[in-house]
Amino acid sequence: MNDTPTLIALTEAAIDLNALQRAVTTDLDGTVVAFVGTVRGVTPGAAEPVTTRLEYEAYAAMAESKLRQVAEEMREKFAGIHGIALTQRVGEMAVGEPVVAVVVSCGHRGGGAFEAARYGIDRLKQIVPVWKKETRPDGSAWVEGDYVPARGD
Amino acid sequence: MKIYLFATLRDRARARSIEISLDKPTTVAELRQIIAAQHTTLAELLPQALVAVNQEFAFDEDTVSPDNEVALFPPVSGG
Repeated sequence: MNDTPTLIALTEAAIDLNALQRAVTTDLDGTVVAFVGTVRGVTPGAAEPVTTRLEYEAYAAMAESKLRQVAEEMREKFAGIHGIALTQRVGEMAVGEPVVAVVVSCGHRGGGAFEAARYGIDRLKQIVPVWKKETRPDGSAWVEGDYVPARGD
Repeated sequence: MKIYLFATLRDRARARSIEISLDKPTTVAELRQIIAAQHTTLAELLPQALVAVNQEFAFDEDTVSPDNEVALFPPVSGG
């Protein structure tokens, strides 16, 4: 049995959380932590708080390779984890739709899966070349990140 | 050589890629200047744009060759 399954996906398909949970769970695991990012429809306090939809674009080949890098970094930093699934969707997404998932398994709830999932989504948002265009009632615009990669990223 | 564009840069150029003439290796810093000179619509976006060479982030002092795969894009905003 593979004790360290790693699933990387950049896809237009809907995220099947049950399938991801099954795929990362090994016989060694008693815990699965799933982070799911969804399209937020209202951002209180923003100049234009309402988002109608988001459109995601990726530099596919590099995005897949950077997703793999994120998974490798998660394993280096959180030795207790077993399975990892990283899924980023591309295409048009409506409010409420799941867009990204980071699913991690480990033996026990204190084994690092929570921390690894947090690290994984933070890192994905820094180095995986994916961009979203936000459509609001007043028009649409690309969202630009604020992370500037350094050597080693 | 072909430069792939994404997000704001693709919209500005109205193209998924542009062609530039480059016949010998240069630095990423010089590449930015060459692109700005040959594709003036992109000039104002270039200082903040990230450069990837062969699908890895590249920095101004790095070398880029005409046979590399090069992409230009804004800081990422996935997730």
